[in-house]
Amino acid sequence: MKNTIINLKNITKRFKVGDGEFTALNNINLNFQKGEFAGFVGPSGSGKTTLLNIIGSLDSPSEGQALVMGKDVAKLSHRESADLRNYHIGFIFQVYNLLPVYTVYENVEFALLLQNHTKAERHKMVMEALDWVGLTDLADKKPDRISGGEGQRVAIARAMVKRPEILIADEPTANLDAENAHIILKMMKRLNDELNTTFLFSTHDEKVMQYMERIVHLRDGEVEKDSIIVAEKDK
Amino acid sequence: MIQFLLKGILRDRSRSLLPIIITALGVGLTVLLSGYMKGAFGDVIDQNARFETGHVKIMTQAYAENKDQIPNDLSLLEASKWVETLHTEFAEMQWIQRIKFGGLIDVPDADGNTKAQGPASGMALQLFDTNSGENERMNIEASLVIGTIPEKSGEAIIGHDFAAKLNLKLGDEITFFGSTMNGSMTFKTFVISGTIKFGTSVMDKGALLIDISDAQLMLDMENATGEILGYLKSGVYNEEVVSKITSTFNNKYKNTDEFSPEMFTLREQNNLASMLDYGDVMSGLVIFIFVLAMSIVLWNTGLLGGLRRYQEFGIRLALGEAKSKIYGSMVLESVLIGIIGSALGTVIGLALTYYMQVVGIDISSYLESSSMIMPSIIRAKVTPELFYIGFIPGVLAMVFGTMLAGIGIYKRETATLFKELEV
Ligand SMILES: Nc1ncnc2c1ncn2[C@@H]1O[C@H](COP(=O)(O)OP(=O)(O)OP(=O)(O)O)[C@@H](O)[C@H]1O
Ligand SMILES: [Mg+2]
Repeated sequence: MKNTIINLKNITKRFKVGDGEFTALNNINLNFQKGEFAGFVGPSGSGKTTLLNIIGSLDSPSEGQALVMGKDVAKLSHRESADLRNYHIGFIFQVYNLLPVYTVYENVEFALLLQNHTKAERHKMVMEALDWVGLTDLADKKPDRISGGEGQRVAIARAMVKRPEILIADEPTANLDAENAHIILKMMKRLNDELNTTFLFSTHDEKVMQYMERIVHLRDGEVEKDSIIVAEKDK
Repeated sequence: MIQFLLKGILRDRSRSLLPIIITALGVGLTVLLSGYMKGAFGDVIDQNARFETGHVKIMTQAYAENKDQIPNDLSLLEASKWVETLHTEFAEMQWIQRIKFGGLIDVPDADGNTKAQGPASGMALQLFDTNSGENERMNIEASLVIGTIPEKSGEAIIGHDFAAKLNLKLGDEITFFGSTMNGSMTFKTFVISGTIKFGTSVMDKGALLIDISDAQLMLDMENATGEILGYLKSGVYNEEVVSKITSTFNNKYKNTDEFSPEMFTLREQNNLASMLDYGDVMSGLVIFIFVLAMSIVLWNTGLLGGLRRYQEFGIRLALGEAKSKIYGSMVLESVLIGIIGSALGTVIGLALTYYMQVVGIDISSYLESSSMIMPSIIRAKVTPELFYIGFIPGVLAMVFGTMLAGIGIYKRETATLFKELEV
């Protein structure tokens, strides 16, 4: 059953550079279904982050229409786009993901403070999310006391604790060694299976690509190739 | 959420410490300076009230016009009748009489020839009448260097330095030469019962203190007095109460006769009005300058702090917090930091003020030639107002500074803020 969750129509994004303009995305047309596990791949500057920002409603296109969860990103107010992120989209970044003054537990709990949950509910949800990534033991540690791989797993827990429909991960493994990269990708794939969350990655990383079920190749702001990889499960 | 913010403030010292220190410093200084000015101005006024102006003073209009010349010929007659009237009509005040007089003191040797001489500035008080409160009011007993307060007619206290200059000791006799109320010459011999040092050069210079009954006798001022002074029984000057009493009295008793009495408030005498106003203006100015300076400094630390926290703002935006909410929480955070800093500053300021109230600054060396009645040690004063005079501006400055700093962040595009996350 097809269930389109992201619908990009003729997306063009231009940035002002000095007196002129720079076209970062040029006429992108793409659809993503609920539960997809997809990656944007392409050389540096090809527009991966720009596109993920538009999908995450952190930015809006110069032309075209980006429908996310049925909402036109360009037409949302600040508050509406914040709500869209609050309830439906999770983010994972390359580095500096966690708030350094708060513990692992509090970092994950922070995401829930923006929704209405009782303290008991929050506790249950946070512990469950930490359990997904296998970090319940580190709940009381500060971010500077844990490893980079563990930090990224906390970020996954924080992004997933609200059980968003879409998870956006911009080069999540760029700062990790191979072993941790595999651990993290496996965790995300498992959550993708269990919760049917749509995952969108951007990456240069071969290790990441091998997990993808669909790879969109970008070059100079255009879709070069869009290939569905027949899932060969249980690698 | 507040709980989360508080945790953040307390844990991230670098975020909160500088603003807290700045706020505490500013607030502490504001409190200390206000307290010190309050104390200084209050002391000057209080001192003037005790020694010179009373909370109110009654003189004849003619006397008031020439009071610098101590015109005892223009004194108020039927003094005891007036005092009685005042006691019944204005019972909230204590009423006492004083006579000022000038003349010459002559120290005779064994043969009755002049050994030493000096000009005296005399003050006659109700010393024998212990209910008058003059001893306590002017702190006479404690100001005595040697000897005692006059207890019977013919005894006098003389300024300690004056006594040294004239080479006098306790029990010596001096003769006062002056003129009576009617302009004829008079003299009277006194025995020195004590020497005094008020610590106020105006009061100490050539001082001669006697009981008012001796003065009335000596100056031919039977039942007359130069001044009637009124003091609120609470001991604290209250402009409102005092002006009401004054206008009531003047409406009733002041008339076109230049020998009719007129009442003056403390404020109306010796330029104390401008002094009182000056005190208020200075306090206001000090607070204004501090708030301005603190706001500017906090604005800048807010900007720096904000820059360091772009990462945090980016994460929070991504988590779905609206920009306006982030801005709101920054302001809320500044309120919390402002409260912590201001509370700290107020405590420090109060402690310093209290210390300066106990210790004070000795300015006697500057006062040698001063013609004003001023205490020789300027002390601060802890007043209830000090609990908020720095606190409120401190919180406001912190919030104001943060709001200014936050606008810059607020105005930036979401995506631009977000970019800070990429390295
Ligand atoms: N705010 C901006 N102003 C001007 N140019 C921008 C802005 N944001 C991105 N660009 C430009 O748009 C192009 C695409 O940038 P983008 O960050 O999307 O690339 P990317 O594919 O994510 O690259 P990387 O792999 O290095 O992260 C780049 O050439 C970049 O310089
Ligand atoms: Mg990028």
